[in-house]
Amino acid sequence: MAERTGHRGYIGARPLNGSRTPQHVQNIVIRDYARRKNLQYLLSAAEHTMPGSYMVLEDILDELPQLRGLILYSIFMLPPDEARRRQIYDRVLREGCDLHAAVEEITLSSQKDIQAIEDILLVNKFATIL
Amino acid sequence: MTDTDFLEPDEQALAQRFIDDGFVTTPADDRAGLDRIQRRAAELAADYLKLPHSNDPYAMLDTIHTRVSVDDLNGLRLHVFNGLNAEPWFRPTYFRLARSTIEIIVGNELCMQRRVNLSIQLPGDTSSLLATHSDVWSGDSPFEVVVWVPLVNVHRTKSMYLLPPSLNGQMQDRMADLRSAEELYRTIKPHATFIEIPYGHVMLFNQTLMHGNRVNEEPGTRWSMNCRFKSIMSPYADKRFGEFFEPILLRPATRVGMQYKLPGGFHG
Repeated sequence: MAERTGHRGYIGARPLNGSRTPQHVQNIVIRDYARRKNLQYLLSAAEHTMPGSYMVLEDILDELPQLRGLILYSIFMLPPDEARRRQIYDRVLREGCDLHAAVEEITLSSQKDIQAIEDILLVNKFATIL
Repeated sequence: MTDTDFLEPDEQALAQRFIDDGFVTTPADDRAGLDRIQRRAAELAADYLKLPHSNDPYAMLDTIHTRVSVDDLNGLRLHVFNGLNAEPWFRPTYFRLARSTIEIIVGNELCMQRRVNLSIQLPGDTSSLLATHSDVWSGDSPFEVVVWVPLVNVHRTKSMYLLPPSLNGQMQDRMADLRSAEELYRTIKPHATFIEIPYGHVMLFNQTLMHGNRVNEEPGTRWSMNCRFKSIMSPYADKRFGEFFEPILLRPATRVGMQYKLPGGFHG
């Protein structure tokens, strides 16, 4: 097997939780996170702006055998459908990789980390933010 | 085309080529400027690699794969990218490379991307590929065009590919049923054209069309720059005015118009 490289960044053009962050700022956040966590940052791929498209994320998942993992700008970039998210977690762990979310400073590196992520996503779905 | 009576015949022909093919290539308007950019890129690359400056910048760039590893490629790219963009003459020169074509295709009140991008594709390198995409899908406005400038001759997989306008719509209609951008490439592959551009020429292309690159299977390294231009008053998408674009040409009539206030004080 070829030697694995670093962590692929994942940014997007869609608003998250009703607010937007310029893509170069998303990259700065990811790059800073990678530096602080001692991860080798690989250039980010930008998800399509069309609602519901995860084609670029799928490309990164296909690339996992050559990677150590991926760094999302935010955990809220994951698909809203829980079953689809769980497929992603399983795929990341099965490939021996990890998944990071830079804004929330969350790491998923084993099955036990999944619930913490899901708790955030579920609470966010129901909680009211002033 | 719409009312072309107001355009000169050569302008009409260029505009029609852009509409029909999705791109136009022309000799650089400012060849000396292009050579200056190429020379500076080669100097910056030599500085990064701790080599003496070469008298043959073309050869230095085209054979850079003999001097740099894939692991060090992004470090080199960032060094040259930052060095070029730090030069005060760089962006005005870049604009001058294609000014006449930009003004025909886009207009003459313009904004320009704040940083000109740089791509380096070593032969056989899989680490710096751009999957099939339209720039609009990642937050660019459909009113933008890309000025794409190679610093070496490019052809076949050393270049980029573009899907013709006649097929772009029908491929987009099928896209939501595909799983990944790689699957999208396999779908459009028979129709995609790798564009041949000799050094000294520039390309202006329609970035709403699907495009990307593949592993460079040619013997030389590809060096290319890209930068977006749009009419300053046309609609913006996620790449906003101020943070991604900045004005480069704003005409007096527009300045007057933006500052004008109708007389006030009426109470009828």
